Amino acid sequence: MADESRPETSTDADEPRPTAAIDGSTAGTDDRPAVRTDGAPERGLARADGGTTATRTGGGPGAGDDPGDDPGLLPISAARRKRLARFVRTFRGNTKAAAGLLIVLSLFFVAAFAPAIAPYPIDQTNIEDRSEAPSLDHPFGTDDLGRDIFSRVVMGSRISLYVGFGSITGALLVGTLIGIVAGYYGGLVDELLMRLMDAAMSFPPILLALAVMVVLGPDLNNVVLALAFVYTPYIARVCRSAALAERNEAYVEAATARGESDARIIGSEVLPNITAPLLVQGSLNVAFAMLAEASLSFLGLGAQPPTPSWGLMINTGRGFMETAPWIVLFPGIAIGITVIGFNMLGDGLRDVLDPKVDAIE
Amino acid sequence: MYNYLLRRLGFLAVTLFFVTLITFAVTNVLPGDVALLILGPNATEESIQALQSQLGLNRPLYVQYADWVVGVLQGSMGTSLRFEEPVATLIAEKLPRSLMLATASTVVAVALAIPLGVIAAVRQNELPDVGASLFGFVGISIPIFLWGLVFILVFAVWMDLFPTGGYVAPSEDPVATLKHLVLPATSMGFALTAYIMRMTRSSMLEVLSEEYVKLARAKGMTRRVVVLKHALRNAVIPVITVVAFQFSYAFGGVVVLEEVFFWPGIGRLTLTAIQSRDIPLLQGCIIVVALIYMASNLAADVLYAYFDPRIRYGGDD
Repeated sequence: MADESRPETSTDADEPRPTAAIDGSTAGTDDRPAVRTDGAPERGLARADGGTTATRTGGGPGAGDDPGDDPGLLPISAARRKRLARFVRTFRGNTKAAAGLLIVLSLFFVAAFAPAIAPYPIDQTNIEDRSEAPSLDHPFGTDDLGRDIFSRVVMGSRISLYVGFGSITGALLVGTLIGIVAGYYGGLVDELLMRLMDAAMSFPPILLALAVMVVLGPDLNNVVLALAFVYTPYIARVCRSAALAERNEAYVEAATARGESDARIIGSEVLPNITAPLLVQGSLNVAFAMLAEASLSFLGLGAQPPTPSWGLMINTGRGFMETAPWIVLFPGIAIGITVIGFNMLGDGLRDVLDPKVDAIE
Repeated sequence: MYNYLLRRLGFLAVTLFFVTLITFAVTNVLPGDVALLILGPNATEESIQALQSQLGLNRPLYVQYADWVVGVLQGSMGTSLRFEEPVATLIAEKLPRSLMLATASTVVAVALAIPLGVIAAVRQNELPDVGASLFGFVGISIPIFLWGLVFILVFAVWMDLFPTGGYVAPSEDPVATLKHLVLPATSMGFALTAYIMRMTRSSMLEVLSEEYVKLARAKGMTRRVVVLKHALRNAVIPVITVVAFQFSYAFGGVVVLEEVFFWPGIGRLTLTAIQSRDIPLLQGCIIVVALIYMASNLAADVLYAYFDPRIRYGGDD
């Protein structure tokens, strides 16, 4: 079915499309970077034809058999291996993206095994050992209640990831819907939706998040909701301009001519072709959302004690800066490294995926 | 250009309407009855109703909204429940301090970013370039409140060079004002450096490859003169637009920054309004901050359109 629906003119161009449809969106996003890299010098979008790929990659393992790339014709495992190879190729050429990816993966590792890594329960207080300097027993020291900071920082990685990914997933779902509808239909729908998005973006993100938090009440899940609300317009704007560019492409016209419904064209033609800008914007926004969570918790309007949120730990440690600076320092370093990771990843992906940035730098 | 501006202003009117709507909606679904908050838990039902009608809270929401918008347009935003003073007066007192802080932060950022960007461009892909880029990443990735706390510890507590926080009016003691500005402005400045630096770098790279720069070099001028006199002067134009964007970013971030340094500006006023459920004050703070944030973003947009030949000012897309 997916094969039949593909227009003649862009068969080779859209090769990841069926994969995305079969394997779900995550698989689709894995595909994107590599395809874009190959296509980048010619055009911004996924128009990689075999020839360009071969010259660009210098005859690497994937280059020769690119035309036969259609995963529909290959056994699943081979298709997957191929995707992995392309994925690796994307990151090998870009130190920034690779370093970012490494940090992000390490963070996931720490978060996944947090209970095994953390030597103490996060809420185990010990009045005798409070505000102790870093030592072998407590590598990051203890806080004002005698809790082990290392354990709390490790467990805090889960909070940060939850808020970062939770909120941006929400923003991606709603923002993509708004943006794609606005960009695809244009006209009055576009005008109204975009003015509404402009209005939401007229508030400084932190201020808007604060206002929403005041309404919802201080709680970690509410932080996720508030930040999803705040970052939706940023996603919507990126998505709209990408959808606008795709609207007039031949493959959309072909689908229209075949009499496909708008919903189908948007879902299975336009959406898979605009995942790259969404991926870049998404990963940069994860970094912003993590910083925003830290700020909200620092102001006392985000996560509430005893949640091991890094921002909240800094807030409570603030009063002990002179006597026990490690209470603030280690969660701070954790935030810094995490956000640097997502920023580098997003930025590196943009370099790889966006030809305009390539042209300038 | 004229048409472009006109179109932007048309958009602005619609956007502004939505901005007031969002502000009003958000502040009006706040949990807790205002009258009950003022009178305390022991208030009788009658006294609560009396106060509600006195404050106009029993009118339909759209009437309250219209009333509020008309008030904002006339520069009157009601009376603060907590301070029992006109909201406009309170904001007029605090706002200049926040603008001062945002301006100082932008100045610090420019002072750091332009030299770094120039060096990065001149030594493209070499160690200084990588170093500058890394510094930029660290700057935007570490929360400003953490920079603030570390600076307070190092430069105020340990070295005793600057005050730990607070504010002194320039009319009283301009030197003290500056001293109080250094640490907060540097904390925020670090967060703003990355984008300005990146823009300077790419703009410099573009200019350095121009013919007239090559000609100047061919005529035997030293590299330093060519870079600083010929190239930088032209490269700096697109950087101005990024600086305008960064100013609005700085202004948007003062809520957190002011809290760290006990800087009594509109950011802390907003937090006070939140903590005391002072709805008229909160509405006033939010709308004023949003308007300024919007205005500086608009200015940056217009500057960008003005300097970028790729953007056409016609009405057609």
